[in-house]
Amino acid sequence: MAEAFFMSDSKYSDYIEAVLKEIPEASADDIHAAFEKYENEFYIPPQDALRSVLRKFQSDSDAPSQSKPRQQRQTKKVAQLSELGSEDKDVEIEVMVVTHNLRQQLIRGEERQIAFGMLQDLPWENEEKRTQWEYKDWGSNSQLLPGSIVRIEGASVNEYNGKRSLNINQSSRIVLLQEGSGSSLKTEDPIDISALPNDGYVTVVGRVLSTKNDQIHRKDGSGSIDIVRGRIADDSGHIGFLSWEPFSHEVGALIKITGAQVRTFRDTPELNFGRTTKIEPYHDSKFASIDDLKESSFATISDLRDGSRDTDIIVQVTEIMQRKFERDGQEKHLWSAQVIDPTGQCKMTIWDDISFSEEDLPVFLKVTSARITAWQGIPDITVDSSHQITMLDEPAWEGEIDPNSHFVEAPLDELAAGGSRVGIQTKGIVVSVKEDSGMISRCPECRRVMREGSCFEHGEREGVEDIRLRLIIDDNGTTSSLLVNKEVSLKLSEMSEADFKKSAIEGHDALIMDLRSKLLTNFLEVKGRTIIDEQGMMIIATDVDVPSRDPQLRATELRAAWGWN
Amino acid sequence: MQARRIVRQPSELMLASEFASSHLHEKGPGEYDPTFIITKLGCKVNRIVVSGLLERLEVRETSNGTQMYQGQIRDPTGLFYFSVREYSPLPLQELIHQLHERVSSSEPILVGMVAKTRWYQSEDGGVYTSLRPEEITEITRQRYANWLLDAAEATYLRIEHWSQSLEVDATMEGLSTTSIPQRSHQSIVAARHHYGEVDLEIFKLNVMQALDIAEGKIEAVTTPPPEIRLPEAEGEGETSNQSVEEIIRMVISHFDQGEGVQYQTIMSNAMSKGHDRESTEEGLDQLIHQGVIEEPRFGWFVFVQTQ
Repeated sequence: MAEAFFMSDSKYSDYIEAVLKEIPEASADDIHAAFEKYENEFYIPPQDALRSVLRKFQSDSDAPSQSKPRQQRQTKKVAQLSELGSEDKDVEIEVMVVTHNLRQQLIRGEERQIAFGMLQDLPWENEEKRTQWEYKDWGSNSQLLPGSIVRIEGASVNEYNGKRSLNINQSSRIVLLQEGSGSSLKTEDPIDISALPNDGYVTVVGRVLSTKNDQIHRKDGSGSIDIVRGRIADDSGHIGFLSWEPFSHEVGALIKITGAQVRTFRDTPELNFGRTTKIEPYHDSKFASIDDLKESSFATISDLRDGSRDTDIIVQVTEIMQRKFERDGQEKHLWSAQVIDPTGQCKMTIWDDISFSEEDLPVFLKVTSARITAWQGIPDITVDSSHQITMLDEPAWEGEIDPNSHFVEAPLDELAAGGSRVGIQTKGIVVSVKEDSGMISRCPECRRVMREGSCFEHGEREGVEDIRLRLIIDDNGTTSSLLVNKEVSLKLSEMSEADFKKSAIEGHDALIMDLRSKLLTNFLEVKGRTIIDEQGMMIIATDVDVPSRDPQLRATELRAAWGWN
Repeated sequence: MQARRIVRQPSELMLASEFASSHLHEKGPGEYDPTFIITKLGCKVNRIVVSGLLERLEVRETSNGTQMYQGQIRDPTGLFYFSVREYSPLPLQELIHQLHERVSSSEPILVGMVAKTRWYQSEDGGVYTSLRPEEITEITRQRYANWLLDAAEATYLRIEHWSQSLEVDATMEGLSTTSIPQRSHQSIVAARHHYGEVDLEIFKLNVMQALDIAEGKIEAVTTPPPEIRLPEAEGEGETSNQSVEEIIRMVISHFDQGEGVQYQTIMSNAMSKGHDRESTEEGLDQLIHQGVIEEPRFGWFVFVQTQ
């Protein structure tokens, strides 16, 4: 025992001595225990724990501390929110409550009522001088009513994603200084269209690009509602709107819309105007003209989103075929096309006759007011009438695009910011080889991967064997799943089908370890298409390469690029 | 309310020095919001890709009686600490078990690892970083070299962005006037408020070290961790006739990889050459007094940079 103690003692002795040098009155045994605790319990070796141990004993002894007392509690009294730092605790400030909403929230498994809303500083000053922050009230304080002026003592600042807000804690004290009228103030500033959230109430200034009277038929057959659909734009972007109230502003008018609701249909946000929405003419001589806005409102294939309406786009048709179908006993037809532009490729469906034939291809079309639908992530430009199509005499871009080798190179972050795309090429580092890579069994009817001999949709079936890899790649702060088919999986893993089959018998863990040793942290070049939905991005690969990278050469290139030679 | 979706957090490439020197963390207000570490270069990470020499891997008993593996990975700039618990997926546990046997027999192994970042805060407010591995694999020297370059490049970009940010106010508005990618704005603002002035030279040096090793200029890739002892001079003399100052200079020039050399390393080397503690301390004081070395942080010694 004594020897064991002596050994471990000597292990720390230099550090203990270092601490004692600074704080002579500390006990060597206590210091030893502290180092041991850091190492054994928190896996922090003595050299890294030294500073903490020093600080601990410095604060234990009442010697004047040399380190900055960061934790010291001192009430910070401020007049303006802008004086607060992101880590301020125990804040005292006088504010006006603007809004107050209640919400049930699950906190550590317990249902609790909290309140949230907006508040403004400088409650006794002119409204223009005030700054507005969000707050959360964890203490169910009844004095927090819209319009009331209160002094909050003991609040803390919360910062998340760069946005600061005030936390009113259970221990905070609220002093009512002036009772509120209960009415809430509207102080929303206009937001750029490109920066609109996916839901919530907003204020927007924009120019009307188009309007169209429309009707919505009630599902219960009790009649229809007149609505107005349209589009508005500012120089950051454009968005469709739906007005449930009469809308008389003409195309080209510049308007300010206060209290519009953003709703997202499929992947496409839309502004909704209702009874409480205020729309008024707006004056700004510098605002972009309607021609400029229309010009920039042309979409590209890479921009297309499921559920969009009123889309204007220029495309090159690479394939066209007629499809016949029967409806109400009558034979009808539509045209199904493959289209392409410099940003990608997708489908187009035309429910009307067209003025060109397969021999004329490639043709360039200007399409207006199209609807966008999507199937398995591939956008389909849906055209209801031939009036929406104009044939262009000249190619809209230089050089013809070959659809077979048309892979548009785009970094992962750009792909993630857009909609689903076909024919893309990108790169990334493998950060995961998922454990369901390898031999799989697919449902013979829907090709879904079966689990334990059973398909989610079709029940028990005799499965069809297949091989696939499920990877995750990252690049520059963006992440994507990567599905690799059998052919490419065999190439990437340098394994034969028989090798994979053998692994299914001999041990799946060994296969995963083997695949990781070949792929994990490796750099890949990927071709394929993307599917983007609320779960993030997935790439269905048609080809994947592991380019060989020569470190010497790369290092030389980096030095040259950085001017470090 | 918006439906909560658990979206996978992207990873960052990072050298050990940047990760280990971090002590700012962030968590969203919700119970299941991910946690992040924000580094001195303003990088906000929940998951990182690291590589290096698997320097240590040990089994430990936890307080509730289960086993865990703890280990450390060394890259040219420092150490990553990690732990693997029993509930980890089987392929990871199996691999760790195999690696443990090999590390125990002192075999040098290079690994690549994707891991979640973790932090621990001690009672007195000190923050320490560590890793919880998700996937590990043994890698070749070539892949290690390429990882070093990827991580060096990512670090270089962060240094550039940090320097750019110094020209504007440390606010979201200030950064919006720069060409720094928007995804870094919030974390740079947070880091600038938290860390204040950051010595970029250390990180630049780290990038250089990574490049050097990737180019094969330093034989440190598959060799065991640096010895704590200087190579013995010929003739195992108990008392060398080197002065203590000479030894201290040798130790620092031999072991300093950018962050300095620890008191303990200097002390044990000097003592093994026959100098006692007191005279070694005197030697250190002397060199500091002469302006040859300095102690930028407690217990760490470096040569004074001469311009």
